[in-house]
Amino acid sequence: MANYLAQFQAIKNTSDRLVVAVEDVSDLWPSVKEGLEKRLPLKKASLNNKTRNPVYVENLQAEFILTTDSRLRSRFPQEQYLFWFREPYATIVLVSCEDLDEFKTILKPRLKLIVQNEEREWFIVFVSKAHPNNDQATKNAKKVYARLEVDFNTRKRERCCKLDLNGVDASFWEDFDFKIVESIRNTLDRRAQFYEEEIRKMSEQRLMPVWNFCNFFILKESLAFMFEMAHLHEDSLREYDELELCYIETVSTPGKQRDFGGLEHGDDQAALLKPGFKPLSQIVQDDSFREFEFRQYLFARQVKLLFRLGRPLEVVMRGYSFIISFSKTLALHENTLPFCLREVWVISACLAIISSTSSTYDGLAAPDNEKEFYRLHGDLYSLCRIKFMRLAYLIGYGVEIEKSPVNSASLSMLPWPKPSIWPAVPEDASAKVLAKEKLILQANPRMKHFNIQRKQLPLEPSSLLREANRRRASLSVGNLSELIDYRQIDGSGIDGHQKFSPSTTNSMSRTYSGPNLESSLSLDRPMRISEVHVAAEHALENTVTDPDLLKSLSSLEEFEQKYMELTKGAADNYHHSWWKRHGVALDGEIAALCFKHGNYDLAAKSYEKVCALYAGEGWQDLLAEVLPNLAECQKILNDQAGYLSSCVRLLSLEDGLFLAKERQAFQLEVVRLAHSEMKHPVPLDVSSLITFSGNPGPPLQLCDGDPGTLPVTVWSGFPDDITLESLSLTLTNTLNTDEGVKTIKSSDAHILKPGRNVIKLDVPPQKPGSYVLGVLTGQIGNLRFRSHNFSKGGPQDNDDFMSYEKPTRPVLKVLKPRTLVDISAAVSSALLMNELQWLGLIVKPIDYSLKGSLLSIDTGPGLMIDESHTIDINEYAKTMEDKVHAHDSNTITENNTHPLEPKQLYIENGKIALPDWASDTSTTLWFPVHAIDDRMARAASAVSCADSPHRQNMVDGMRTIALKLEFGAFRNQIFERTIAVHFTDPFYVTTRVANKCNDGTLLLQATIHSQVKATLCLYDAWLDLQAGFVHVRKENGRPVSSFFPLVISPSSTAGILFSICIDNMAIAADQNEVVQAESILNVMYGISGDRSNGAHSPTSLKLGSSDKLFFKVAIALQRPILDPCIAVGFVPFSSNCLRVGQLINMKWRVERLKDLEASPSSSCKDEVLYEVDANPEIWMIAGRTMGHALLSNARGSRTEITVTCMPLVSGHVRPPQLGLPAMDDANISCNPPGPHLVCVLPPTLSSSYCIPA
Amino acid sequence: MIACVAVVGHQNNPLYLQSFTGADDALKLHHIVHCSLDVIDERVNNPKRSVITLNESYLGLLYPTESYKVYGYLSNTKVKFLVVTTDLDVKDTDIRSFFRRFHAAYVDAVSNPFHVPGKKIISRIFAARVSGIVKAFAPGTYG
Repeated sequence: MANYLAQFQAIKNTSDRLVVAVEDVSDLWPSVKEGLEKRLPLKKASLNNKTRNPVYVENLQAEFILTTDSRLRSRFPQEQYLFWFREPYATIVLVSCEDLDEFKTILKPRLKLIVQNEEREWFIVFVSKAHPNNDQATKNAKKVYARLEVDFNTRKRERCCKLDLNGVDASFWEDFDFKIVESIRNTLDRRAQFYEEEIRKMSEQRLMPVWNFCNFFILKESLAFMFEMAHLHEDSLREYDELELCYIETVSTPGKQRDFGGLEHGDDQAALLKPGFKPLSQIVQDDSFREFEFRQYLFARQVKLLFRLGRPLEVVMRGYSFIISFSKTLALHENTLPFCLREVWVISACLAIISSTSSTYDGLAAPDNEKEFYRLHGDLYSLCRIKFMRLAYLIGYGVEIEKSPVNSASLSMLPWPKPSIWPAVPEDASAKVLAKEKLILQANPRMKHFNIQRKQLPLEPSSLLREANRRRASLSVGNLSELIDYRQIDGSGIDGHQKFSPSTTNSMSRTYSGPNLESSLSLDRPMRISEVHVAAEHALENTVTDPDLLKSLSSLEEFEQKYMELTKGAADNYHHSWWKRHGVALDGEIAALCFKHGNYDLAAKSYEKVCALYAGEGWQDLLAEVLPNLAECQKILNDQAGYLSSCVRLLSLEDGLFLAKERQAFQLEVVRLAHSEMKHPVPLDVSSLITFSGNPGPPLQLCDGDPGTLPVTVWSGFPDDITLESLSLTLTNTLNTDEGVKTIKSSDAHILKPGRNVIKLDVPPQKPGSYVLGVLTGQIGNLRFRSHNFSKGGPQDNDDFMSYEKPTRPVLKVLKPRTLVDISAAVSSALLMNELQWLGLIVKPIDYSLKGSLLSIDTGPGLMIDESHTIDINEYAKTMEDKVHAHDSNTITENNTHPLEPKQLYIENGKIALPDWASDTSTTLWFPVHAIDDRMARAASAVSCADSPHRQNMVDGMRTIALKLEFGAFRNQIFERTIAVHFTDPFYVTTRVANKCNDGTLLLQATIHSQVKATLCLYDAWLDLQAGFVHVRKENGRPVSSFFPLVISPSSTAGILFSICIDNMAIAADQNEVVQAESILNVMYGISGDRSNGAHSPTSLKLGSSDKLFFKVAIALQRPILDPCIAVGFVPFSSNCLRVGQLINMKWRVERLKDLEASPSSSCKDEVLYEVDANPEIWMIAGRTMGHALLSNARGSRTEITVTCMPLVSGHVRPPQLGLPAMDDANISCNPPGPHLVCVLPPTLSSSYCIPA
Repeated sequence: MIACVAVVGHQNNPLYLQSFTGADDALKLHHIVHCSLDVIDERVNNPKRSVITLNESYLGLLYPTESYKVYGYLSNTKVKFLVVTTDLDVKDTDIRSFFRRFHAAYVDAVSNPFHVPGKKIISRIFAARVSGIVKAFAPGTYG
């Protein structure tokens, strides 16, 4: 059967559609051909697939062929059987007849003969030529057709349809299509069944020796082909898949050693899309096919079907895995294949798949599929790129290939080609060898930027030199050691070809320049690397038939162009897929090439992408490889900002990635740029390099308004000291975010050591709140940098790239405004007036240091500080005070815990500087003050001894002292207070006449009330009497002397009795003599009090001295009240009650009680001056309020003074009072004697206003 | 032969990478591991596509190339374990069992109270243990 392969191939090529046979019985074909062929392709056909499920096929191609056609006639029965798929799938019998008899006798037997073949699917088309107007003809035709139906239709199946040539019925065509499809379907089912049966039978013989794959293949492919013709591509594809599986099984069965193939010219180009690349009959091998060609053939068939099915994605998927698996297969047969055929084949296969699918891909697939599609394209490009690089490496372009991780990963783990014999150097290749030599020598091993020295990543799995020489057939074992020695001399290591020591180079050039070139290439000598390249290139030129690939390998420029194209293709496709990292990594390769060609702009862009990817995910090792390249691009492009930032990023990489020397180089670059003239000073983010944090421990606490110094820990990642011209930090208020950020600055330049530095920053007064650190900014040269990064008390962890969270720990707390200090008077009780007294002030710091504070004192009127004295300062011990409280004694004690501390202060310009020791403790300051009161103290009469005079005295004794304390670190805090200090006389005196003796002696009792919290001691007291009074017995006015000293305890009283009498003789005294109007009580006293308690002996007096104080009190002695000159009486009102608005007459009766001469002050005449005193808010006075009333000097004369007035307010009000200004009050007797009230009623209601008009 | 084992954090940051090639070429393995994350990402983000259900930690073969293979394993905390092997014929069960041991070693290492989660693993004991696991790994060793 294998002999039929060629024929089979030919049949396949010619028949590509289903055949429908037309049995033209009545020569009707020419007239119906057009109509019938219009129905093709069949719009819609319901066919059964292999599993007998209905499948709707659209546009099914078919062809009508007359049975008389040579194509159908000239077939041998065996062929028909074998290639059944090309036989007609339906037979249309075209019949026309108008005569029933003719039909019965001639046509029917003939038709029976035609349709008797059971194998055929047939149906009859009865063509009626009758014109519709020709009734007879129509009638006849109908009769014949009816007869035809009776004869050929069965119950199961109608096999007849009628076509009217004149006026075709639309239903006919539907019927016609249906019948054709039905026939095709039936035929298809039957044939599929047949083929399956045959295949099954053959499969059963699989393990027998008679098994022949070719036969199996013909059957299987026939079935597949039939399905393909019937547009059942899915089934067809399945057949090919099964065929492939079966083939692989066949191939892999051990036993026969078959030829692999792939040795013919052009085999290096993959035939993945060319099923007809080689005729099958050429690749037949015994009972099977050569693997190399046949598998490609099968794949090509599959791809064709997949394209028909519209599945380019599947093409790529299958394509990629096919290439991979086929590449492995090629590797197995590598020793028989031409040199590097495998690599070349993969390259062409990848490119073929890419070009075929990218053009057919419509891009309308689901996004997932689309991404997958691009990913596979990327894979294909990538695979192609790797193989291409491998070829280029072999022919010596390796020196120009970037030794990046990407390339190293792809190439260094990829084994070398394993030809049975490594290609030898062709003859007459010395020029080429020299050229290669030159290429190697000229290739300047690209220095890494910043003088970074790294061992370059390998691109070869093992030394090419060694591999090539090892595989040379002629190399003996002994030469191997020689080879190793040679390598050592070379100093080449793994990358042997890269660095030739000068001596080797010299020796080689000498060798080549010598005439005996051929002998130098003797078989026993190992090849040099340049020779290896030349040999490989030569071998490749024999292998490669693709002119494009040859061209790409012909020169370095062409290579780089192709390399770029492939890399870009891979990167672009990966970018469209899920595999972004692959794409970005390849971008790095593009960038390297761009850089090499001076296209720095593009290179920088690509490098940036790569760096962003690596940095973003923290792959610092990879980043350290790329970042210097980016920096170099930026440097060349004069992108200072980018360059600086790259340098900073380089510095901030992990410590182990760069040597100290390299890191110093980075820093030098930064510093150099920072101090250079920059056109546009750029801000630089050094977050990764300089980090900062507050000091550990509690935050700095400041009081409101206080400046402070904030220590901040700054971690420098620079390898060396770096000088910062300035440094500032922002503070953010965590409570009040709308306030924005405050910047605090450190004024002076700092030198940051590598590692931890503590920097102190001045904090100006801040608003209350708690503050966290914000951003660190500063300047290095002209460079402004910022850092947002917080370290957590340790050096920045570089791998912790995601921790950019803000620290919540505040570094500064500014407290809400509060009282920081309190100054109060130490003593609440009164001090002595007009004496030098110690005024105590308690200065109490409230958790706040008063260091360096200054107290200004401004005394109010009537108070002065005696500056001649020093000021005492003591510690105010609260604990002691408490103890004292327990003893119910309000004493403030001093303790002497600070014996060496100054206790004496001086006041300068009204200011006192508090000593340092007093900065944290409460202290008491004692000032010598002097309160001045010019007024003389007056004694109060016991009669009117209410509290009011005394109170009056209290107010009089009040003095104020304004204090201003400037404190805080910068005396920025100010405390102001005005303190009231109470001064008083030592005592006040009340007098009363204790007794009035019959002999006119008055016992005047002077009661002395102590007003101070101190024990008073009266040493002496005497009374200087006013005129009109004399001491009894003309004494000096002293009480009994033995009475003194009289001790008066605090708040107690003592009394002294004076005996006086009214001096009647005084009237006779000289009128001109200055008359003493008041009596004076002189008191000589001493005071023994504690200044911490209140009044005490004046400071001028030495403690313990017996100096006495002197105090005078004026005593108004009144003449006896029973001896008035004039009596004033208030005359009751005539009416019962007063009303507001009612005029009334106020009347006073004035009566002279004595003769005028007794009155010393009356000037003359018989009249008296009066004055009515009324509150104008209460009373309206009508008439004069002051005047002279006539009053005779004679005793008993009387007069009445009337004033008309009107009360203005209701209630109990004080009536107007009549005063006699010319008379002494002592001479007036009033009735009623004191102030009194009268009742005023509200005005009567006036109803007249309420009458409605 | 196992060329490299790696632990990658849930944010795709490298936590541990140890090369066993003996040569000074760890960088290329960094690249391979890093690129393999693409495959893991794809599998995790497109559970429909992935062959292996995500209920299982073992991700299987991620990255078949001609010269090496990358296998992956994803923990519940999205920590990825990767193995690059140059041995092209490895049984799935062996790799699975290897990953289980590797994962256990990792869990022990990060359970160290002095280890900061998300930081690189610098424990020498972990490194020694991993080396031990790698050394013990030979196809067919584990059932």
